[in-house]
Amino acid sequence: MKKMTYSNPVGVGKFTGLLLISPFILGFLLFTLSPFVCSFILGLTDSDGISAPVFNGGENYIRMLTDSGLHKAIGVTFRYTALLVPLKMLVSLAVALLLNMELKAMSFYRTAFYIPSILGANLSVVIMWQYLFTSGGLVDQLLGTVGASHVSWYGEPFHAMMIIVLLRLWEFGSTMVIFLAALRDIPRELYDAAKTDGCGRVRAFFHITLPMLKNVIFINLVLQTISAIQEFNAPYMITGGGPMKETYTLGMLIYDEMFRFNDAGYANAVSWVMFVLIAVVVALLYKLTGRMREGTK
Amino acid sequence: MKKLFSFITAFSCAAVLSSCGSKNKSEITKPDGKLDPCTLRFSWWGGDDRHEATLEAIELWESKHPDIKIVPEYGGWDGWTEKVTAQIGSAAEPDILQINYDWLITMSSDGKGFYDIGTLDGLDLSGFDEEVLSFGKVGGIMNAVPVSLSGRGLFYNSDVFSSVGAEYPSTWDELSDLGSVFGDKDLYPIDLDIQSGGTAWYFAVVYIQQKTGREFITMDGQLGFTEDDIRDALVFYKDLEDEHVIRTLKTRTDEDGNAALYQSSEFIDGKIAGVLEWGSAVGKYESVLLQGVLEAGPFLSDGKGNNGGWMIKPSLLYAISKNTDHPDEAAAFMDFLLNNEECAEILGTTRGVPASSYAEESLEKNGKLTGPAQDSNEMLDKLDTVTISPYMELSRMKEFYNTAIEAVSYNTADPSEAAHEMYESIVRYLEKIRK
Repeated sequence: MKKMTYSNPVGVGKFTGLLLISPFILGFLLFTLSPFVCSFILGLTDSDGISAPVFNGGENYIRMLTDSGLHKAIGVTFRYTALLVPLKMLVSLAVALLLNMELKAMSFYRTAFYIPSILGANLSVVIMWQYLFTSGGLVDQLLGTVGASHVSWYGEPFHAMMIIVLLRLWEFGSTMVIFLAALRDIPRELYDAAKTDGCGRVRAFFHITLPMLKNVIFINLVLQTISAIQEFNAPYMITGGGPMKETYTLGMLIYDEMFRFNDAGYANAVSWVMFVLIAVVVALLYKLTGRMREGTK
Repeated sequence: MKKLFSFITAFSCAAVLSSCGSKNKSEITKPDGKLDPCTLRFSWWGGDDRHEATLEAIELWESKHPDIKIVPEYGGWDGWTEKVTAQIGSAAEPDILQINYDWLITMSSDGKGFYDIGTLDGLDLSGFDEEVLSFGKVGGIMNAVPVSLSGRGLFYNSDVFSSVGAEYPSTWDELSDLGSVFGDKDLYPIDLDIQSGGTAWYFAVVYIQQKTGREFITMDGQLGFTEDDIRDALVFYKDLEDEHVIRTLKTRTDEDGNAALYQSSEFIDGKIAGVLEWGSAVGKYESVLLQGVLEAGPFLSDGKGNNGGWMIKPSLLYAISKNTDHPDEAAAFMDFLLNNEECAEILGTTRGVPASSYAEESLEKNGKLTGPAQDSNEMLDKLDTVTISPYMELSRMKEFYNTAIEAVSYNTADPSEAAHEMYESIVRYLEKIRK
């Protein structure tokens, strides 16, 4: 039999592989590594983002020790993360379970549930949130019909935090899609065998579905935690960080220091603190869920 | 292979180091006195009335200079400083910029942040008062030209005041008395904010300046108020809330969310009957009113003939980017915006009453020097005003004011505690940034 040969359009030299990955390498160097290193260098300067920066050692990092605004922003960020991530995990898993059933018009529901994730915290969503949650808004009116008293959504610190959490919770599409894909991968035979043995739906969920989803739960947990710690857009657009800085996240602080207060050196130093915080939290999550993930191997 | 990796490493290091520094052109383009075909970018912030008038003015310019195109970049005030800061930081700013007074400190502390307008022949500054022009100079270098001088004044919805049967107040006491009159109908005579406007602290500063004769911040960046003055200002603000003259911050946030007052239904529907606003920016409030007209009210006095303490500043300035490739053309366009009669007629008072006597005469001749902005300016001219220090308007300073106002409004600190914190923060910060 004649041996098949294939021609390689880019040649077979030793640089072929490098040539093929060069778009990524160049993109990574210019748009990821370069800003990353730049940010560290600027964090050691008194840069105002406009004039030439002057090296000031670790002054920015020392300032952080006594910056009560920064300490508060870190607290707010972690409170927000602790509220949002578990809720989002639960809601997306619940919806993924529903969408995994064989129902009519399922593709319509999947699309509909994903739409909020595309919208994000843009201007139209902000206006919608204002119509919903400001005094006399739709939520207020609905609460009024059941005799509930007026709730100050924007004016009370905890409520203001909750409307941001709600906005991000509403955007559960991406997390839900990852869960749905994993649910589809669970072999039907497992459920059939369990059913034959007299296992009910709830028991099947806890003994088949959840164990099979452990790795995906971990991935979603890490992704959502990182994204929550980096939160900027939603509080910036919805509450402006108020009232009394109770929704003022670390992302907002970095933005303000950089662009409002022209303190680029400090902003970059704080962004490195955010990076370290994310790394520590992810490492903790990895450690805490280690045994759980081991069990699925 | 080793050579290739060395190249990649060297390339990435070069990219990092070159991108970390400030990105300005190595040489400033010198003027050549000619107008060559080109495209210029011009940016400004404002409300719809200003946008529409400016776009029309650009059309007029392009009909007279078809070879010099103007690309407009415009938006609302919120977030505008941040946008321009980012543009300047990456040397991507427009050729001509509308700038705010305090930007001269933050973006051109040595006078070299913008093009030296003094070197350009195409811009006629003979219609400007020398004192007005001095507001645009940093270290003796002409960085910008003031478009107008303006002060914040009180503007009222005539319909709401008529329906309540109230007169516009002329003293602080009369304003306080309006709280109960309006409160009976669940209305408010005025509104103050701690958002981008920051009118809450501004109003309190005017009150204390009038009472004590001391300037809050001096032109060279010294704090003129004592800690007790700051406490009195915070007490004054809190009293306004307690007397129902203004909404509490909680009520305001609850009703408007994060929206500016002129976008809120409370103002548009007439629940809020008055605003404290720059004469140069009051158009955005006028244009949204469903009923009634906005009228300028008297500048409040103590009722014993003391009406000082009210402040003025160059409301806006035009500057040219130091990175522009077309300084002559930019100067010609700026001259058109500032001095041209037809352009002045189109722009009207959307940026306040023009500082250029040519533009002002044109408006007067055509009967366009009317409206609340002009009325307010005329009243302001008769007062013994204080020129606002650009240091007062710095974003970080506004943060100190707003933190204190919020603490007092939400009762998380009493005025003395909040004043102490604010006093210490301001002194520390001014010491740090003063040149």
